[in-house]
Amino acid sequence: MATSGLIGTGITGLLAAQIGLQTTEHNITNANTVGFSRQRSSQASNLGLSTGAGFIGMGTHVSTVERLYSRFLTEQVNRSQSGASQLDTYHQQISQIDNLLGDPSSGLSPELQRFFTSVQQVADNPADLPSRQALIASAQSLSTRYIAIGDQLAQMSRAVDGEIASTVSGINAYAEQIASLNQRIIVAQAPSGQPANDLLDTRDQLVADLNKLVQTRTTTNTDGSYNVFIGNGQQLVVGVQVMTMTAQPSSSDPSRLAVGLKTITGTQEMPESLLDGGALGGLLTFRSGSLLPVSNDLGRSAASLALTFNAQSALGQDLLGQSQLSAAPNTFTPNLFSVAGPQVIASLKNPAGSPDVSAALIDPPPYNGNFYTDLTGSDYQLTTNAGGVTLSRLTDNKQWTGADLAAINAQLASEPQGFTLSASAALVAGTSYLIQPTRNALQTLQVNPAVAVDPRLITAAGPLAASANASNLGSAKVSTGNVGPGYPAAAAALPITLTFQNGQLRNFPVGAQVSIDGGTPVSIAALTDTVAYTSGATITLVGSATATPPVGFTFTITGTPNTGDTFVIARNTGGTADSRNALALARLQTQDTLSGQSATFQEEYARLVNVTGNKAREVAVSSEAQQALLAQSQSTRDSFSGVNLDEEAANLIRYQQAYQASAKALQVGSTLFDTILQVVAR
Amino acid sequence: MRISSSQIYDVGLRNIGRNQSQLVRLQEQISTGRRMLTPADDPVAAAQALTLTQSKEVSAQYVANQQDARDKLRLTDTQLGSLTDVLQGVRSRLVQAGSTILADSDRKMIASELSANLDQVIGLANSQTPAGDYLFSGYQGHVMPFVRSAASASATSQVVYLGDDGNRLVQVASSQTLATNLAGSDLLMNIREGNGSFATAATGNGAGMVNQGTGIIDSGTVLDAEKWQQALESGFPWQGTTNRALEIRFTAPSGISSYQIFDVSQPAPPAAAIPAVAVSAVTPFAAGQAIPLQTTGQPPAAAVSTDFGAQVVINGLPVNGDTFTIRPSANKSVFSTIQDTIDLLNTPLTSSTVRTEYSGAIHNALLNLDNALANIGRSQASVGSRLQALDNLGDNASALDLQYQQTLSDLQDLDYAQAISDFTKHQISLEAAQKSYVQISDLSLFKYI
Repeated sequence: MATSGLIGTGITGLLAAQIGLQTTEHNITNANTVGFSRQRSSQASNLGLSTGAGFIGMGTHVSTVERLYSRFLTEQVNRSQSGASQLDTYHQQISQIDNLLGDPSSGLSPELQRFFTSVQQVADNPADLPSRQALIASAQSLSTRYIAIGDQLAQMSRAVDGEIASTVSGINAYAEQIASLNQRIIVAQAPSGQPANDLLDTRDQLVADLNKLVQTRTTTNTDGSYNVFIGNGQQLVVGVQVMTMTAQPSSSDPSRLAVGLKTITGTQEMPESLLDGGALGGLLTFRSGSLLPVSNDLGRSAASLALTFNAQSALGQDLLGQSQLSAAPNTFTPNLFSVAGPQVIASLKNPAGSPDVSAALIDPPPYNGNFYTDLTGSDYQLTTNAGGVTLSRLTDNKQWTGADLAAINAQLASEPQGFTLSASAALVAGTSYLIQPTRNALQTLQVNPAVAVDPRLITAAGPLAASANASNLGSAKVSTGNVGPGYPAAAAALPITLTFQNGQLRNFPVGAQVSIDGGTPVSIAALTDTVAYTSGATITLVGSATATPPVGFTFTITGTPNTGDTFVIARNTGGTADSRNALALARLQTQDTLSGQSATFQEEYARLVNVTGNKAREVAVSSEAQQALLAQSQSTRDSFSGVNLDEEAANLIRYQQAYQASAKALQVGSTLFDTILQVVAR
Repeated sequence: MRISSSQIYDVGLRNIGRNQSQLVRLQEQISTGRRMLTPADDPVAAAQALTLTQSKEVSAQYVANQQDARDKLRLTDTQLGSLTDVLQGVRSRLVQAGSTILADSDRKMIASELSANLDQVIGLANSQTPAGDYLFSGYQGHVMPFVRSAASASATSQVVYLGDDGNRLVQVASSQTLATNLAGSDLLMNIREGNGSFATAATGNGAGMVNQGTGIIDSGTVLDAEKWQQALESGFPWQGTTNRALEIRFTAPSGISSYQIFDVSQPAPPAAAIPAVAVSAVTPFAAGQAIPLQTTGQPPAAAVSTDFGAQVVINGLPVNGDTFTIRPSANKSVFSTIQDTIDLLNTPLTSSTVRTEYSGAIHNALLNLDNALANIGRSQASVGSRLQALDNLGDNASALDLQYQQTLSDLQDLDYAQAISDFTKHQISLEAAQKSYVQISDLSLFKYI
């Protein structure tokens, strides 16, 4: 009895040491396995044999092999990981835009400069055809640069869509695997109640990998299976069941992919704000936070360039002497650029037969010193309900509400956004339209082909000129003058010959309106109506009464005229050496042409580079910080769960010694047994 | 703290990686000389650099424009100099022609010389820029500005101006445009005749007769410009609206040489001509006396007293019936001044009275020529002041350019000393990380069992 007990106890020690050695070897071999948590065999003493002499120890047994795993530390790693992946993805993407815009040789800046330089050269030598040809060439290369940048951004947008789709399918694949591991873990753990350590590690690693794609939260069920949630509680995996995520064209903007979740009731589009973290979060925030705004802003710059340049160009006279005053038929071409208008996308959810809504860019408003646009970089949403129509600016959610589109347009007249809206029929309730005023402009800025083939059509000269009669005896000089929008109305009956008589100017055309120094216009009822003469005052024959100050044809008479002196306003026929309009075009470079007259093209571009650069920097810095956080939380987890080979070497020695000791005990038992046998044999 | 083996490798590798990426970045900075490799490195400076670059380029464009303007103005200046030389030649010939001892044939010779000079002036006035634009045609760059009108039987052909008054502007600074041309109308056409305010002339004694006395009128003087303008414009009740002029008519009541001032203005055609009306009393005259242009009464209307603020001097002795007129200056082109002189020189001097008139006419022609020369001088001064302004702008622009360059360099360029010292620092720490990594990874208990 005693010796068999001795051997039995020795064997338990051998077995326990064996398991210990095996666990140690398992740890050593998996030292580099990703997601592996070191394991430890837990030994417990066997229940003692109760005798009259007390409880005699019966050796040891291994109660379980446990993994050193902290749920808390793992979740911390997962959270850091999803944050880091999001920032890393964002950083990778925005670096491309940052490089695209900021490159000193390939950005928009040098082309803008070259374009305006060639406008100046035309202004220097307006009749010089090579200069005009150079202007066309630089306009074309400017438009090419806009289009190239637009193409690149569009390509990035397509790439982002592609990555969203593959990320979503990655998420689905992980979800499937997690569900299947849930199943295996339930099956594996059910009979023994012992933890299936390596399966658990595999599943935790899958959850960690999933968190690289999108941030999730997990809960554990009593049967050991995980539930995985995304967003603010949307189920992705529940036990062994998987909900599939989808990537399909957005109902509000079919040009881009939206992420949805397939549920029993159908596919549900998920708001982007809910999909935080991971590569998916990075892609979505990059798209909404940087890619689309940059495309819109550059589009705005392209549209504003075209609109302001065309508006000023229309006020000129080309080398053939053609202007707005030319009798039909003529080949006067007011526009140097062409650009696509706003895009209006009807929601896919709109009821069938809803009217079409369209938007049009407004010509630059008449004109307070220079032309400018009021376009913003925002997209707009038009929604209808029983009460009327609401237009929301999506960047800051500013809203305009009215009974119908006319009411909205009326409000936009006082708070201009650079476009107007119209509909094919009265709007019906329950519809929604997305308006992108500038997105299309970036890829559609073109040089007017009519001007491209005939540079003589560039309007470098002014269409009207005032001059003093050669027989005037007074000392008065007259400026040749400048035209503003609506000038043909002011110059209906040319030539106009004004006569100075006794301190008054007379012989203005009947029906004309005359404004002195931008004051309230005076109507001329008869040729004998007079306007008081002040030396140096600007005299405006008003063409457009809506503008303040009035515009039309503006000139100045300085000096002392004699009675009977006359001043003639006539068409600038043959004015090939005149560069007044080219100078006005060149000045657009340094004038505030954007955002309701608050920024130049270059300033706007610099702002864009600054904003993008700031964002890229911010993301880079946060990404670095997040990486440090991730490294730290990984390190904390590793220091708890990771394998230390020196430690395992020590364990190896320890279990080896335990094994040797148990074997020795066995040998002692065996020797004792042999001793008994010898006694019996004798 | 417990350390897992993978941590040792991870941390080591991470540090080596970080040092390496820093080194690569520094190397890129050093090799490009740029502090900012992308705008993200310093977004504010990047945006500033963009706007500054535009300002610098714009400023460079203004400098190019200034050069263009300078070239054109210099060409103009040269042509004006040539014009002055030719007109000076004409003037010295005129002075020569003023001598009444010259024979008709001599004067004809001078006339043909002046004809050649006139062609020279027309040629200079029609000069072109290297690009082919006419220099003095205003906006009408492709229109030859000075051409002879078709000759008619009644008059020799006159030179007319086909250009306009347009200023060819060039942007020479952000808020400054500069005209690079002179309009031919101002330069050569619109030149006031006479003394600039009025022109005097002997107008003859009766139909078809020249003045019979020896009186020669000078060009007159405006003593009070304000009074002159006032009288001309509103102070004096002219009897007609066209051909406004005063006439000094000599009489000899009781054998005393006297003069009286008449208003000879006429109503606008087609109204019938009206006779001159006396506007002053008959006043006794002494040779060489200054005659103030003052009217004292205009019968039959109420007596009006107007002071024109001007006077003329008549030397010599006019005889009864001799008349002199004083007209407000009209514009007379330099071409018609020369042409009129040529016509004058071609006319034979048949009598002493004709000679007297001839002297007066040569005197007037000289006066008009001097006006033309003064006008060209003024224009040349204007061109000179524009060139001066361009030089000042050029100085400003180069100072500004230097400033931009400096600021841009501060924004964009790498501080090499700093960068190289950083490079060395990171190099040392990379070497240390690598060495320590190798050593720490060499430590293993397994080596001893």
